[in-house]
This record gives sequence, structure tokens and C-alpha cells, in this order.
Amino acid sequence: VRCQLYSPQRALQVSAVLRRVSDEQKKEPLASSSQQQFDSHPADHQPEQEPQGPRPSYTGQGGQESEDYESEEQLQHRILTAALDFVPEHGWTAEAIAEGAKTLGLSAAAAGMFHSDGSELVLHFVSQCNTKLSELLEQEQKLVQLGEAEKKPTDQFLRDAVEARLRMLIPYIENWPQAVSILLLPHNIPSSLNLLTSMMDDIWHYAGDQSTDFNWYTRRAVLTGIYNTTELVMMQDSSPDFEETWRFLENRVADAMNMGNTANQVQATGEAVVQGLMGAAVTVSNAETSRAVR
Amino acid sequence: LPAGGVSLRLCSTRVPLEGINKPVIDRIIRVDHAGEYGANRIYAGQMAVLGRSSVGPIIQQMWNQEKDHLKKFNELMVAYRVRPTVLLPFWNVAGFVLGAGSALLGKKGAMACTVAIEESISDHYNSQIRTLLEEDPEKYKELLQIIKQFRDDEREHHDIGLEHDAEAAPAYSVLKTAIQLGCKAAIFLSERI
Repeated sequence: VRCQLYSPQRALQVSAVLRRVSDEQKKEPLASSSQQQFDSHPADHQPEQEPQGPRPSYTGQGGQESEDYESEEQLQHRILTAALDFVPEHGWTAEAIAEGAKTLGLSAAAAGMFHSDGSELVLHFVSQCNTKLSELLEQEQKLVQLGEAEKKPTDQFLRDAVEARLRMLIPYIENWPQAVSILLLPHNIPSSLNLLTSMMDDIWHYAGDQSTDFNWYTRRAVLTGIYNTTELVMMQDSSPDFEETWRFLENRVADAMNMGNTANQVQATGEAVVQGLMGAAVTVSNAETSRAVR
Repeated sequence: LPAGGVSLRLCSTRVPLEGINKPVIDRIIRVDHAGEYGANRIYAGQMAVLGRSSVGPIIQQMWNQEKDHLKKFNELMVAYRVRPTVLLPFWNVAGFVLGAGSALLGKKGAMACTVAIEESISDHYNSQIRTLLEEDPEKYKELLQIIKQFRDDEREHHDIGLEHDAEAAPAYSVLKTAIQLGCKAAIFLSERI
């Protein structure tokens, strides 16, 4: 997910400083190349939000230099990933990001690259978890295709997928309420909604959903409901290894399956009733006709 | 979502999703699926009224072809992981009402409706073919082939409609304009919602 993080000018200035700091701490750069980096900075002050790749100034400085170069986005990812270790202590805040930056050898001012409310940290974490879930489901699917594993029934598949995803929250469960409130901030809603819906779509895709009608929406909406409510239960669960949560999840998934069956039954009943009425109407009209003929 | 742009990880579908222009393909498949779904319902409505008349077999034949088209787009939708339009239940009813309504104007009315719809659809498929050719004819070869085939089928339906005196229908030009406007609106909405 791309989030609009900060004003480009400020970010580029700050990141230019960071790059200089981080490069100076590396062994390879020669004095002349530091000079070149300095001169290349004015060129960096362009109104582009997202660098597309290595900047020209960095090529031709020797293979090691261009290998060490990373895009701004990659740097941000590294900082945020490092910052996750500090979330239990500092929460989803700029302090955690600053601590993360320090472990990478950058100055704490690196946190200035991000919003002061820790939004990017939460979004980064959610995005990372979703990617992990996708990879996990992909692996499972490969095993089934190779015949090394049994294909799970839908309800168990959904249960396992949601459980796997929620278990990724366990290390941060103390601070998760704070994360949820950050995700619900108006300026984060588009990104967080996007992440949620694509995760639901992923799970259903791997569960083998092939619906091309309104069911497509119904199924994803139901699963979103299951996921969100289970997440809420998990935040208040104090049972060993969250067994209450998994039991709650099992019940909700069973409810959802029953809902599907009930809908089918209602439809079948409705059709039977209509046929009955049509039959009655035909019988009556035949009776009338034969009476008229007599 | 992996941060880092438009690329999608490979799923075990028949279609590798890496490197395709997902937003464009999404729209194309969504709107075409909605179109074939609507066409199905229109013919169903026409058959409900005119099924036992002399044009019944013709309409049934065209309906069968639309059913095949819809089946194909269902497959493509799953293969490219495209979401269907939210408006499907609406097109369900609106299509049937349009088909039945035009059929109540008589056989020529039904044919006029067919001509109007098929002309809109052919134009629409043509512009999609142009879009895909501009993007990358090689990458989208299979999709292009399918759309071209379907465009030819719809063209054929259009000609059948004309052969069966569509132009002699009551208020032909008004009917045709109204239906085509409706089509344009439906296409616009289905691409986006």
C-alpha cells in the first residue's frame, strides 16, 4: 500500500541527510565519492514522491556503492521493521520509530520522515502480516497441489487462515488497541480499508472461491465481520494461548456456514411455494374451463 | 499488500498476473461480464413474452450464444481475480424488464431492442480491442481473441435483428436512442462500481 506520508521537500532533505550519515558510516566510500553525493543532493530536490530506482549520481562509483544504495522506500521499510521491536515498550509512536532508526545506525531525527502519530508503523506492520499470510496460504496450496496435503473443508480453511493471521498480533497484543485506533483515524481509513479488503479477498481466493455474482461481496463481507469481531475478542482475551478467541472464531465460522445453508433452504422453500401456487392456479382455471364447456 | 507497486504475486490460476495492467484489465472484464449478464437477462425477458411466437427460435439461438459468452467471462473473472460489479442484482431486474418490455411492443420491438443493444456492445468491444492493442497485443493475445470473437457474434445478432424488421418497430429511432443511452450509462457505472 502506498500511503502519502509527508511533504516531499522535507522528506528529501531529511533523507538526504540520513543517506550521507549512513554512507559515511560505511567503509567503502572514498572522499571523492562523498563529495559527489554532496553535489548530487540539489538534484534530489525534485517534487517526486516516490523514487523509481537508483539515481544516476550513484552509478559509476564502483560496484559496491551502487549495491549499497537503497531506495528511500526500502530505507523506510528497514526503519519501520526495526522499530517494531520497540513497540511493546513505546507503543505505536514516533519514539518507537526513532529507536528503530537508532539501531540501524541512523540518527533519531529519522523519525521525522514519518507522521508523528505512528500511522506508517501500524500500516507497515499490517501490510507485512498480510504478505506473510499470503505466502503461507500460497505454500499450503502448493502442498495440496503436489498431493502432499489434504484439501481442507472451507470452514476449517477459513478458521485456520484467520487464526494464523491473528496469531501474528500476539507479540503486540498489549498495544493492539492503540494500533486499531490509529487505523481508524480518518486519514488512514483508505489505506487500512484497502489492506483489510485485499486480505479478505486473498483468503477467499485461496479457499477456492469462484463466485462471480453478488456472493462475491456477501462472502467477503461475512468474513470481514468474522475477522473484526474475533480481533476484538482477542484483545480482551486472557485465557491461555487465547483458546477463548479460537473457540469464538470456530462458532462464528460455523454460523456463517449455516447462514449459507439457511439461505439455500429459504430459496428452495420459496420456489416450492411458488410452484404450488402456480399448480393451484392452473387447476382452478382448468376446472373453470371444463365447467364452462359443460 | 506488499508495498512496492503494481506487481502481484503468482497465484495458481491459469493466468500469470505479473506484469499485466491490472486496473485496465479489471475494468474490461468487469464491464464485459456485466454486459453479457445483462444481455442474458434481456433475452430471457424477450423469451418470456415471445417464446412461443415465430421469432422464438431466433431469440433462443441468440440467447444461447450469450449464455456461452457469460460462461467465458465467468472463467476470465476467476482467472484474473476481478471483482464483479455491485450492480449485478440491478442489471438482473433491469435487463429482464427491458427485454420483456420491448417484446410487449411486438416482435419488431424486440428486434429493435436487440439491434440497439448489439450495436452498443459491438462499439464497446471495438474500443476495448483498440485499448488492448495500444497496451500490448502480445501480452493480451488470448483476451483480444476472445473479445474479437464476441464482437463478431454481437455484430451477427445486430444483423439478424435488422433482417427481422427491427426498423419497422414503433418509434424505432426513439427506442433505439433511449436504449443506447441506457447502455452507455450501464457501461460507465459497471466499469467503476
